[in-house]
Amino acid sequence: MVRFEDVSLRYGNGPEILKSVNLSLEPGSFHFIVGPSGAGKSSLMKLMYLAHHPSKGRVTLFGRDTREMSRQDMANIRRRIGIVFQDFRLLDHLSALENVALPLTITGQPLEKVRKNVTELLTWVGLADFLDAKPPTLSGGQQQRVAIARAVIARPNLLIADEPTGNVDNAIAERLLFLFEELNKRGTTIVVATHSDSLIRRFNRPIFRLAHGEVHLDYPSVDRARKPKESQTP
Amino acid sequence: MISSFLSRSHSVPLDNDASSRLLPWLIALMVFLASLAMVVAFSMTKLADRWDSSLSRGLTIQVPSGSTEAERNFTREQMDKLAQRLEGIEGVSAVAILGDAELERMLAPWLGTEILIQDLPIPFLISVELDSLEGRLVDEIRKAVSAIIPSAAIDDHQRWMRSLLNLAETIKLVAFLTVFLVTGAAVVMVVLVTRMSLAIHFKLVELFHQMGAYDSFIALRFQRHALRLSLLGGLMGLFLTGVTVAVMSYFMGQANTALLPQLTLTSWEWAVLALFPISAGLIAMITARATVLRSLEEMP
Repeated sequence: MVRFEDVSLRYGNGPEILKSVNLSLEPGSFHFIVGPSGAGKSSLMKLMYLAHHPSKGRVTLFGRDTREMSRQDMANIRRRIGIVFQDFRLLDHLSALENVALPLTITGQPLEKVRKNVTELLTWVGLADFLDAKPPTLSGGQQQRVAIARAVIARPNLLIADEPTGNVDNAIAERLLFLFEELNKRGTTIVVATHSDSLIRRFNRPIFRLAHGEVHLDYPSVDRARKPKESQTP
Repeated sequence: MISSFLSRSHSVPLDNDASSRLLPWLIALMVFLASLAMVVAFSMTKLADRWDSSLSRGLTIQVPSGSTEAERNFTREQMDKLAQRLEGIEGVSAVAILGDAELERMLAPWLGTEILIQDLPIPFLISVELDSLEGRLVDEIRKAVSAIIPSAAIDDHQRWMRSLLNLAETIKLVAFLTVFLVTGAAVVMVVLVTRMSLAIHFKLVELFHQMGAYDSFIALRFQRHALRLSLLGGLMGLFLTGVTVAVMSYFMGQANTALLPQLTLTSWEWAVLALFPISAGLIAMITARATVLRSLEEMP
């Protein structure tokens, strides 16, 4: 699904943010990414969702080398990736319903179906009364739920979430992670960057730990015996 | 409900940009300048045609008038003889000897009305109108003139006409150059406005791009916007041109002189001017699309 081979990243002439990273995510896996601020979590995820090209090394997504993809191929690959941005990136001039519908409408899906699916999903995340609300009128937690709904509405093969539960209470956070888990059970590969130890413990999934631009694979202490297929070679 | 959902969920809110509010006015100004330059080109073409048709089929014979009355009378007799001979040549449609009264009238703007034409060494003039300005005909006239009045000179207006036509051609060239430069300026302006809009809406464009929108999908939002605003601006510019032409045409009609060009446009010429707003819209659309696609290429 995702393979990094000796991948390094630097912005311009700056220092290396990621140094010779090797990792592999198998289809249907669920990983957390942890690390202090500035460790390169966002950069790692940007490489996964094709917002950047590596300065060195090879990134393979869905079995294809990103360096050999045409622009159209890359757009098609991006359609298979759902992203929850840390800053949500909701469009203020659109309603919650329209924001969530974006991934479907830009691919030209039938509007009746789009509307029905989006309404159902927003209802499920507890925003049934806010379908027509514009993001500036929503609380931080509500905006985050809209952002998550937008990331999952197109049933992505790969879901990448940057601090998806940072602004919601524990109950909502559990519910959202439960949604991720449901998607994961249906085959979606999930990558979640988080600072929440409780979530990591609760969901008991392998962890990529970032420090000084290097990535190390770790397993929750509660279940070290369960080592899945995912592998990492530093 | 659904259709508004469709249009809004795809949209980039470009209408709220300051640059978007400015674009129609800038395009209006450009179309006004370009179409006015085109009106000048049309007018110069018509003026040159008028000069050409009125002067190219005629020539003037200048006959030295002589210093004494006896010489003048003799010259007049010779001129009558020449006129008769010229009228007999096939291809000559009219011959007219300009009398003193006509010469005085022609010279009045420069010398006043109180002149005695006989006191001035002004040549007699014979105006000859031809069916066509063929070389054979001119040669035959030249022979007849040199046989009867060897001192007479023939002016077929060509040198004067050439200068005038060159002037008209130069003005037309400048007008076309103006259209070309204005088009270039409009392209630069649309590029700047589009880049400004892209900068303002960078996050939104980046989001569309990140969700897998094709470059053409994103460019369509900007190119449609540029087309709409430029068409609107172009129509405003054309309207302004129409008003300007009407006002200038009125004042030129009042002046009533053959030297000034006519500002009455034919329906064909109006049709050409009507292409300006359409062209402005299309140029803006293509420019906006190219600008957006080029900017998107900087994204991975």
